[in-house]
Amino acid sequence: MPKAHSNFARVTTLLLLLLAAAFAVEPRKITVYAAQANYQVDILVRNGVDYVGLTDLLEPLGRIESRSDGKKLKLTFNGVETVFEANSRQLRARGTPTLDLSANFLLIDGRGFVPVASIPQLLPRLANQPADFHAAARRLFVGPIQLHYSAELRHSPSRLVLTFSAPVNPAVVIEKGRVHLSFHREPLVGSGADNVSYGDPFLASTSFTETPAGAEFTATVLQPATVALADAGRTLTISPPAPTPPAPAPSPSAQSPNASSPNAAPRPPAPPRPRPFVILDAAHGGDDTGAVLSPTLLEKTVNLALARRLQKELEARGIPTVLTRTADNPLTWDQRAIAANTSHASLYVALHASTSGHGVRIYTSMLALQPGQSKRSFLPWEQAQSPFLQQSSLAAAALAAQSTEDGLPVRTSSVPLRPLNNVTLAAVAVEVTPPGDSPDELAAPEFQQKIAVSLAAAIATLRGRLEEAP
Amino acid sequence: MISRKLQLIIAALVAAILAMGFYLVHLKHKAESIAVGPATQQLVAPVNGPPAQMTLFVASDDDYSIRPISITSALPSDPGERGRASLHALILRYLAKDSPHPLGPGADVHDVYLLDPASAVVNLNGEFANAHRSGIEVEQLSIFSLVLTLKAQLPQLNRVRFLVDGKTRDTLAGHLDISDWMDIALVSAAAKDLK
Repeated sequence: MPKAHSNFARVTTLLLLLLAAAFAVEPRKITVYAAQANYQVDILVRNGVDYVGLTDLLEPLGRIESRSDGKKLKLTFNGVETVFEANSRQLRARGTPTLDLSANFLLIDGRGFVPVASIPQLLPRLANQPADFHAAARRLFVGPIQLHYSAELRHSPSRLVLTFSAPVNPAVVIEKGRVHLSFHREPLVGSGADNVSYGDPFLASTSFTETPAGAEFTATVLQPATVALADAGRTLTISPPAPTPPAPAPSPSAQSPNASSPNAAPRPPAPPRPRPFVILDAAHGGDDTGAVLSPTLLEKTVNLALARRLQKELEARGIPTVLTRTADNPLTWDQRAIAANTSHASLYVALHASTSGHGVRIYTSMLALQPGQSKRSFLPWEQAQSPFLQQSSLAAAALAAQSTEDGLPVRTSSVPLRPLNNVTLAAVAVEVTPPGDSPDELAAPEFQQKIAVSLAAAIATLRGRLEEAP
Repeated sequence: MISRKLQLIIAALVAAILAMGFYLVHLKHKAESIAVGPATQQLVAPVNGPPAQMTLFVASDDDYSIRPISITSALPSDPGERGRASLHALILRYLAKDSPHPLGPGADVHDVYLLDPASAVVNLNGEFANAHRSGIEVEQLSIFSLVLTLKAQLPQLNRVRFLVDGKTRDTLAGHLDISDWMDIALVSAAAKDLK
């Protein structure tokens, strides 16, 4: 019996460990740095091989169209067609030699997946751009986008001067004996020697590491240190604090918002990051597929493609835009609302797609206008949109007017739809429907482009007007 | 050269195939007429009460409208039963073969509870929500037409909320928020945009 108990305990422990491990594993992602956008792509593991979705990978980089018959996937990227065969390593494209992938191409529910290890060979073929993949950190650089740095120890007084090939704005943490610089957005790569020992009375050593979250530079210092950015963000100096002259204490506002230590010295303000005007929310994502528009087309996919296209159109008009999601990942309504409310944007646009009817529908929140309520009023979460209803109606009217001008049938209405009620800026939801009878028209690049152009033109007319609205 | 006897056999087989095909089509039509039987019957809710005029607000997918129509139906005296009878009649219309706003098969309303004269809870069945088409507009049309129909029978109502099989639910079919009370005045105002 004791032996049986012991075996039972072992099996139970093993099962619990396996269960804990299953819960602990988070989906891995590749971080992509490109001229068009920085984004992340989920990794799918099949038979021990890491794969990424072709559409997820390519959509932010250009115009993509794909058709699948269950055995083959014909992918047209920026006008060039490539044929992928399911469960085959060979890749054929017109006028180019056959390319062998490192593992079989996968076709799952009409979506194509390529092995991660083949991306450096594949992207130059598809996107006509060089690609550099740092496998350990899962960072992919598309095109000549990498940002380099050089480090130089100068003397009298001792100080480390980092010179970057383009402006940077790292998060700075100064703690006893260490200065950490975190580059989450910049495509910064190592300079060759990742770990350097200096043996200087001020600077002992430096190290550079890459992680999926970005690049980290750490300086081990033997004295208190300050950090200063200069040359419009191209030069960063780590040095001992200058002798303090008897002067008034610097005001807190002079501190860099990125410096998280009270010991951090004031440094010239970093170049201001443009405040987004629009936050686009591709509705649904992950397990929440939204409507099943056709056997091979899900609403979440159409919403994301349209959001990306609209972002390009807006940014082409000089309108800074952010997305709540850039890949097929789930977000709760509260997460979407919080993303909008903390984005400092002026307009939130949720994008939906449906097969019912024709044209474009524009919705605002179905809340009552409360007289005397100001934007600073303390309100329940479910009524947070209330003081912004007028601005939302203004935005809806502009979008409707432009759609009508562009020949798109349009209807506006108010509706109980999350997370519109929770958004503390002008907020609208747009539902697009196919121009004809086929749901697949929703995924057609020409249709999406027409919608994106119309919405972008309307949003452009709102710049300045939303801020002025009471 | 095919013999005369073989030709006759082939002709007989072809005739038999054609006859069986026609019979199959006939059986299919018969089965369809049985399946849509309840929806094509007279719009009378299975409740007791004297016949009276009832206003239904019927949604139409064709022009994205919600329009009132009058029917004669048994109207119970109990307000909750009266509300349920009106919603049942509306749903039957949506389940009919020529439905202006089709719902999934088996959709119905279990009960309408009045918490007080101004607050009603509508308990829909699972088929109503689970087989509902997904989309902001189609979900809006369904819920708004139910709310307006209920208000027409119970004019003192100010607010409505929906349950599905007795439980709260976030959305009807992925879009329309039915997790909270709906202010009927706001629904009526929004529905004016639909006409």
